[in-house]
Amino acid sequence: MNKSKLITMKEAVEKYTYDGMYFGHGGSLPVGSDCVSFFREMVKAGIKDIDCASGCNTQGTNLLAAVGGIKRIELGFSGLEVYGFANGLKRAVETGKTILEDYSNGAMPIRMMAGALNWPFVPTFMNTGCDQQWASADDPENYPNTKKIPEITDPFTGKTCGAFTPIKPDVAAIHVTMADIYGNAIMLGTEWNRFELSRCSKKVILVADKIVDTGVMRQYPNLVRIPYIVTDAVVYAPYGVWPACSTGLYDSDEEHMFYMNKMLKTEEGTNEYLEKFGQYGDVWDYVNMIGQERIDKITNTDTAFLMDPYRQWIKTDAEIKELLERR
Amino acid sequence: MDYTRQEMMAIATGREFKDGELAIFGVGLSMLAGFFAQKNHAPNLMAFTEGGVYGSTPVGGLPWGIEDNRISANAVSFTNGIDALGFLVASGRVDNAVIGAAEVDKYGNVNTTGIWAEGTDPWKVGKYTLPRVRLNGSGGANEIATGAKKYLLMVTHERKRFNEKVSYISSPGYLDGGNARDKYGFPGGGPSAMITTLGILRPDPVTKEFILTGYYPFSSIEEVKENTGWDLKVAPDAQVIPEPTEKELENLRAVDVTGSLRKKK
Repeated sequence: MNKSKLITMKEAVEKYTYDGMYFGHGGSLPVGSDCVSFFREMVKAGIKDIDCASGCNTQGTNLLAAVGGIKRIELGFSGLEVYGFANGLKRAVETGKTILEDYSNGAMPIRMMAGALNWPFVPTFMNTGCDQQWASADDPENYPNTKKIPEITDPFTGKTCGAFTPIKPDVAAIHVTMADIYGNAIMLGTEWNRFELSRCSKKVILVADKIVDTGVMRQYPNLVRIPYIVTDAVVYAPYGVWPACSTGLYDSDEEHMFYMNKMLKTEEGTNEYLEKFGQYGDVWDYVNMIGQERIDKITNTDTAFLMDPYRQWIKTDAEIKELLERR
Repeated sequence: MDYTRQEMMAIATGREFKDGELAIFGVGLSMLAGFFAQKNHAPNLMAFTEGGVYGSTPVGGLPWGIEDNRISANAVSFTNGIDALGFLVASGRVDNAVIGAAEVDKYGNVNTTGIWAEGTDPWKVGKYTLPRVRLNGSGGANEIATGAKKYLLMVTHERKRFNEKVSYISSPGYLDGGNARDKYGFPGGGPSAMITTLGILRPDPVTKEFILTGYYPFSSIEEVKENTGWDLKVAPDAQVIPEPTEKELENLRAVDVTGSLRKKK
């Protein structure tokens, strides 16, 4: 565990992502945790033809779909909850640019669990007896579909149930509240799919709001649901979920959630959005782009007290710069 | 008394929850209905979100999502999707729940996935064509529909949303009616009511077709029928549902601090 895995966002995207990869992202929650700034970096790098294993759509997939970067996506929910439909993804699906294969929110982590276990399939009642089983965007002519969630016989009772395929992404980028440089991570708020995703993916990149000393992991080892063994890289990404929220650190930026989604509705709007919010350099540039006024507003969160036990272990920006230079 | 149709729907939905039940609320208005019940008459209602946020109540207004900080600020446990949607919901443990719908049919099947051009529904053409309008997909509603002991559908009552057969079943109700669910072995029992902006529909115990059992002081049997796309049957004992009491409205508005339910008439 003595090797630092801390790299920059740009390095992580250059080293681990590629056109056509099968990509998982976590928590993949529309309003909460996801590696949104990792998606911004992939857009900057022009990564395309991505096959996405998502839990839900987020502003990350919304943006990447808006620029035509997602060839195919599997998910449980394609909207932005109370913020409305996800216009970028919606446009990509309606124009046939993105193939969207529907599952439910419960199905996706179960399929990731099956991937983590290396099971050939996992039995299910979820998503059976409905069009999630009968209609397949991958195999549209076959209706009612017999391949997406095939009917199988329970060998013990002889009754019928469905079978899900496992998910094993090539690469996963996972937002975490805090990580140390070795790849141990603590998440605040719902984990959603992040535990399973960290175990079923071939490569795992942690996208952390805070870099912390390993002392916090030794103090609260029960909270370290992603240990260094499964981690390939750690990226420091303050406000990396913005404009969505990171429990304990910042609330969703209501104005920007609506604004970004409105811009992604058209190609022109998307280009304009990227001129304003897709041209920054490193992570410190990114923070400047968000701006102090917005940061003051979103960090005034009712969940801030959740960070109290961890504050003494948080690394400063100067310490993080030094850790990056020392490599 | 001055209240909106949305508020009446939320209160009628909340009245369906009993104290002590294990419940899951979806995002948006259904969450308000659930927390209204907890505040009003079911203080021991045990609620959680599909992300595994336990023991919390909304802070600062309607949460933007099931994982928003507004619902995470006073939780006692954070777990994950497999736990909440799998172990508690899909398994058959949850007593009651609320889900929303873009479209429902007479057997309580729910479409939240897409709107297809006339005549191009997958089941009509025998293949999956692209929807004209892509909606949000099933989210966690499919786990509720297949796993919850019973659940409520909360739907704005408009003719375009109430059809003989939905274009796409995102979350199964009683499928083709009768005991059609049995084939799939679902642990859950199916929808117990549709609570709408015009009244309440409940399934016939045998055919499972939804029939009108109640309407509001401001609606009528005729208005409900006009806004339903199938030949709606009316229960012989269909009656007016009591309007919100002052206490109910006060408790609902204490939960709906940002006035989400008062925006629409």
